[in-house]
Amino acid sequence: MCDSCGCGDTNLVPIDVQQRILSDNDRTAAHNRHHFVERALLAINVMGSPGAGKTAVLEATARALHGRRLIGALAGDLATDHDARRLEAAGIRASSITTGSACHLDAAMVHHALHHMPWSDLDYLFVENVGNLVCPAVYDLGQAANVVVLSVTEGEDKPLKYPVMFHKADLVLISKIDLLPALPDISVDRIEESVRRVMPDPRVIVVSARTGAGIDEWLAWLAGQEPRVAASHTAMATPPAS
Amino acid sequence: MHEYSIVQALYDTVVAQAASNHATRVHEVHVRIGELSGVDVGLLETAWKTFRVRTICEAAPLEVSRVAGDDLVLERVVLEVRDV
Repeated sequence: MCDSCGCGDTNLVPIDVQQRILSDNDRTAAHNRHHFVERALLAINVMGSPGAGKTAVLEATARALHGRRLIGALAGDLATDHDARRLEAAGIRASSITTGSACHLDAAMVHHALHHMPWSDLDYLFVENVGNLVCPAVYDLGQAANVVVLSVTEGEDKPLKYPVMFHKADLVLISKIDLLPALPDISVDRIEESVRRVMPDPRVIVVSARTGAGIDEWLAWLAGQEPRVAASHTAMATPPAS
Repeated sequence: MHEYSIVQALYDTVVAQAASNHATRVHEVHVRIGELSGVDVGLLETAWKTFRVRTICEAAPLEVSRVAGDDLVLERVVLEVRDV
């Protein structure tokens, strides 16, 4: 059409991309995961609503594992380092990730935080995500497993309202069961039923950080994840057969 | 509300595609969003309209195909490339 002025015509060129939108985050998460496996460290992404009891569960975990496992935690919050201070007081090596206004942690935030806290001697690293039942589920951090803490006061149908997070969970901890006597209308069975409807391979442990109920079962679940990490570690250390 | 963070990642990928193909403008952006991706399509579209202002993507609509599963994928871009 335009062959006189030399401006050149515009062509529309379709480019097939087929790339995950969060591929940058995926790469950083894979890098984190590589580090964790290299050190045979079990990394757990702990998610749940604000106030679900994530920090309290980790405090109870530290108390129960004192002298048996070395535990570290990264605590994500929009503001304050209160959770990290609480975790430290419970004997956990902790650092906070203050996200400002971001509603979730991403792999780069975790990577950055690990540059400022010694972690390679830890047995377990808990990444306590920002309290939120939506956004944290979307970002891989490099964890070995996702754990969602859901308290009995949040309502029996929360998993149905926020299916994505429960769909991605490897374990759901139903927390604060010491409050049940004050909640006559709440049934743990109905909460579990909601979880089962959205979680592909449902696994639920009912706990109270206050009384210690269910904590042993939770510790057994954690210990059960260790062989998986050890196997990945061995696979990484063994050169592929030529 | 992590859709802005998703759109930032999407925008960066699209601009990288445009640069490597020497495009003068981005004409269309096609994404595939799964029901279980955790992304709200309405918010994503709003975020895209905010991000693209005064960029190479200014005139590029975001075409969304919704699927089952948790896909969050940039499928295709249509670029305007000048003949030389």
